[in-house]
Amino acid sequence: MVGTEWYIALSGVLFAIGMIGVMTRRTAVLIFLSVELMLNAANLALVAFARAWGDLTAQTAVFIVMTLAAAEVAIGLAIIVTIFRKRASTNVDDLAELKG
Amino acid sequence: MSAFFFVVLAVLIITGALVTVIASNAVHAALGLVATLVALAMTYVTLDAHFLGAVQVIVYAGAIMVLFLFVIMLLDATRPVTAHNPVGFVNELAALGGAALAGALGLIALGWRDPRPLAEGAAALRNGTPGAVGETLLTRFVLPFEAVSVLLLVAVVGSIVLVKRPVSQPSAVPEAQPIESGERAGA
Repeated sequence: MVGTEWYIALSGVLFAIGMIGVMTRRTAVLIFLSVELMLNAANLALVAFARAWGDLTAQTAVFIVMTLAAAEVAIGLAIIVTIFRKRASTNVDDLAELKG
Repeated sequence: MSAFFFVVLAVLIITGALVTVIASNAVHAALGLVATLVALAMTYVTLDAHFLGAVQVIVYAGAIMVLFLFVIMLLDATRPVTAHNPVGFVNELAALGGAALAGALGLIALGWRDPRPLAEGAAALRNGTPGAVGETLLTRFVLPFEAVSVLLLVAVVGSIVLVKRPVSQPSAVPEAQPIESGERAGA
């Protein structure tokens, strides 16, 4: 069996790649995709720790996180579509009304 | 043998993630994420989480990614997505920061020692079958379970309210496709 530490390391690399995506992408949908990547990195760490401790609690938590992700995507994409209708753009640099 | 599977799956996961982050076409990025999610589902199966592997494919790679692809098609799939960043050095900064974060997390992770033999922990998971996970979900975590179902309902209603068009708004019709009716042509 592959040790838990390798799964956690893979999860860390996945999280870092997602962070790079959030920093470099300029379209709201693609930033959202990168956030999904980071969410899945956290899920992978939870599942790996569930095996390390032999506890099903973490797997239950991952199930709830997946449902939350579905709700988050539904709301987030609805917001993006609404913004696109008003502005014909989802570039996050154009949506800067709240800056000081 | 399991080490071989792990390496193959890790390569698939990281390749898909890099495509998601780097691809200049939004549809390619979404398909890269699908590859990552399916490979993650297989990784869950190697971690004795069979139910989660199935849910990952159905919910994530299925439902959520279809929603993403729909929205990408609906908006602007063909435009360059990393076009002119106002901060010129952000790509280098992100690569540097990402490499530092990945290195730090990797080093911390590789220092982890399993608290007990892995076979013992894997046996306690009972293969992560729907029965085992569902038993935990509907006994110890029944309140979060119900809360999540209410949250899903709120999300569905909320997204409908958000994208619902006001009925009397003729300017919302795209100008490139004017609505022609036979009556107007005759008048």
